[in-house]
Amino acid sequence: MKQTTYTLLALILLTLIAAYISTTAGVYTAAGILIVSACKFVGISCYFMEMKKAHVFWKIAILIYLFLFTVIALILI
Amino acid sequence: MTKTTIDYKNIYYPPGGILLWLIIFLELITFGIALLAMVYSSREEPESFHNSRLLLNSTIGAINTVFLISSGFCMAQSVTYFKLKNLKKTNLYLKLTILGGLLFLGLKGYEYADKIALGYTIGYNTFFSFYWMLTLFHVIHVLVGLVVLCSLQLTLNKTKLETSTENIASCAAFWHMCDLIWILVFPVVYLLL
Repeated sequence: MKQTTYTLLALILLTLIAAYISTTAGVYTAAGILIVSACKFVGISCYFMEMKKAHVFWKIAILIYLFLFTVIALILI
Repeated sequence: MTKTTIDYKNIYYPPGGILLWLIIFLELITFGIALLAMVYSSREEPESFHNSRLLLNSTIGAINTVFLISSGFCMAQSVTYFKLKNLKKTNLYLKLTILGGLLFLGLKGYEYADKIALGYTIGYNTFFSFYWMLTLFHVIHVLVGLVVLCSLQLTLNKTKLETSTENIASCAAFWHMCDLIWILVFPVVYLLL
């Protein structure tokens, strides 16, 4: 249960970090925002959805999806 | 009465059930393609997208993210307490989950009313077409999720601990799907300038 609470705090912190990064104008702003969002995605799927208890197939499937989404978005930006 | 325990390590039994996970992947792929289409369009019309994004209030988006994340946390806690056979806390966290969803919808409603009042409707430009389609489609998912959670709450009140863990885990997985979709929608629509 403590782990879920820590995850919540980390997710809120990451949301604030993403919002802060978006205010800075730099070459890596978009990459930073997308990577922070990817971390939040992993946090929710692993600790809230209990994917860490699931078969490795599901863990890999979600990671492949996230990787493809982030990389394609970064290429398109 | 025999007690069955679900082996989540089995490929056919992910937490929430395989059918729901197939739906989750279909939804994630659908939203993913739409979001990537939006990113691609922003490259085609950079100035229009940049100016339109400045019309959105990212603070509202961030607060809504916190609402949904907190709601997801409460849902996870509710499932945990149900497994521990603590019905009182299960109910409490389920109600907090619903409250989080309602707060999200309330703030989204305020944002929509503001945009409509200013004339930024779905046909205003390409950016707002994507904005309305993506966020409204997500709001529909949140509404469906709230209906599912309310029916779960009613079932829990009637049947107490007779409800199966799988049912609650499925409802939770659907609710977390709304979180996951928002986690992708928020940065692309509100933050990437």
